[in-house]
Amino acid sequence: MISELIINAFLVSIMLAIAIALLKARTVIYTVLLTSAYSLVAALMFITLDAVDVAFTEASVGAGISTILFLAAMAFLPKKEEKNVTNQAFPALLCLTLGGVLIWCSFDLPEIGLATSPIHQHIVPEYILGSRDDIGIPNIVTSVLASYRGYDTFGETIVVFTAGIAVLAILKNNKTSLKKIKSQKKVAENGQ
Amino acid sequence: MISSALGVWNYWVVFLLMMIGLFLVIGRQNFLKKIVGLTIFQTSVFLLYITFGKIKGGTPPILNNINETIYSNPLPHVLILTAIVVGVATTALGLSLVLRINSEYGSIEEEDISAQDLVDYHDQIETSKTVSIKFKK
Repeated sequence: MISELIINAFLVSIMLAIAIALLKARTVIYTVLLTSAYSLVAALMFITLDAVDVAFTEASVGAGISTILFLAAMAFLPKKEEKNVTNQAFPALLCLTLGGVLIWCSFDLPEIGLATSPIHQHIVPEYILGSRDDIGIPNIVTSVLASYRGYDTFGETIVVFTAGIAVLAILKNNKTSLKKIKSQKKVAENGQ
Repeated sequence: MISSALGVWNYWVVFLLMMIGLFLVIGRQNFLKKIVGLTIFQTSVFLLYITFGKIKGGTPPILNNINETIYSNPLPHVLILTAIVVGVATTALGLSLVLRINSEYGSIEEEDISAQDLVDYHDQIETSKTVSIKFKK
């Protein structure tokens, strides 16, 4: 257990380093690649925390598809981020306060890996037994995802479908800019 | 003692990552950076959930024939699987909005865009004034 925790602490420190590098990154390609690396280290952490299904989903979807989306969007966007004009003190203060409160509350959280903590008590033993006796799928995550919580998965597909339609609708009229129409109207009015 | 200290370190860094993500969302002007911040925030929340699901000496929740096996909690894994896919849908939607904003304003910096909006607003007021003066004449 302690070796696992040491690996975890190491990986989570790498993630912190990547996030701090992200705060300083100014070019877009660097930002996108750092985000991809962040997702990959997160996938490694999911493996050490016994969440293998989540790990390969994060590696393929979080580090793969999102990076492709970012790279595709990057081709049409300015390559550099401008320096901030406004003061960043207020957001920084807000984040520090919220982070402090969360860290203060973390002393009330159950110790990592404790089998008696409330999250493991309620319905999970039923799911584990039912997966063997009622459903007969060895992978418990699959049986919960597809059977016990099938409606959640159905809702997820609806969300993804809606997002796909919305993306198509937003990008469809990319050519006709509202501003151009406005400026043309203005020219026409001035002409009269 | 060491294990509890390491566990607390895990929680603390996850909270720090969340706050860095939140800062990127609310503190930066660049819209692409805001979306990257959202991704960072999401991934750190996933980490928090998966950390809760871990059991000491447990195995991944895949059934085997050995008796008395301890399985880690599968429920957070299921929830986070759903959340990862929804997160990518959110990212795609946000990126398409950023592309649209860029084609409309020629910039993805918040300051530029609000300045352009302000100019447009004043232009509108000017044109409406001239129209009303013409009407009076």
